[in-house]
Amino acid sequence: MTIQLDVVYAPSDDVVAREIEGEIIIIPLVAGIGDMEDELYTLNESGKAIWKRLDGRATVAGIVADLAEEYDAPPAEIEVDVRGLVEELVKRRILVEVSRV
Amino acid sequence: MRSQGFEDARLSVVKAREFPLSGQDLLDLMQAVLARGVPFRFCARGWSMTPFIHDGDVITVSPLHGALPGVGEVVAFARPGTGNPVVHRVIARCGTGSLIQGDSMEEYTDGIIPAENLLGRVTRVERRGHDIWLGLGPERYVIAWLSRAGLLRPLSRVLPSWLKKWLQR
Repeated sequence: MTIQLDVVYAPSDDVVAREIEGEIIIIPLVAGIGDMEDELYTLNESGKAIWKRLDGRATVAGIVADLAEEYDAPPAEIEVDVRGLVEELVKRRILVEVSRV
Repeated sequence: MRSQGFEDARLSVVKAREFPLSGQDLLDLMQAVLARGVPFRFCARGWSMTPFIHDGDVITVSPLHGALPGVGEVVAFARPGTGNPVVHRVIARCGTGSLIQGDSMEEYTDGIIPAENLLGRVTRVERRGHDIWLGLGPERYVIAWLSRAGLLRPLSRVLPSWLKKWLQR
């Protein structure tokens, strides 16, 4: 799967995500239940920075540019991380494609 | 070489038990899941619902879908004042409010809980992988009455087996 830069992603309706004590916790609503006894997902700090921008408005390219500016980092380097994380989130059905700009 | 401050972005899969949530965090998650119209399953802490629910039991709370819980039902609610989520039994209805009490409590510590504080009804309790009988059939009226009368706690050791035998008749 290749993540395109012109795509806008948003969290799927099949997950609930909350920031708890500084950590993003993502609960998949597997089989129609929010199960705190099953597996959950968390993100590290960089993952959190990307997740917060996956709001159904920003394109992948926009997120890369925004993070590159905030972290004063080469966009190409940030892009690898953003593409990689978005790909994994899409594979796990945590993110869905909203639109293509 | 990585840029300073931006490490490799990672998604980790963790066991929920690594996040022993309580208080406002648990309430927040429960509300968010129930608002989607789906049940919320989590590990209960405390002994206030003994003998029916034990510390460490896994509880499933289902959305109320706008209907008020009936007498004898076990509900999750946000305790007024603290906002902490609590799971106790409805022992009487007072208009749209519910008089709620823990099965092992001798006093009405929760008092009348307004409808807006109710989160959902408990529909399943599991202990060590097995479903636990919660007394939610017709026997719930008996349990609620005993709780109101202050008799549930003294009878707690024998009541579940008595009620089960009574129901099997």
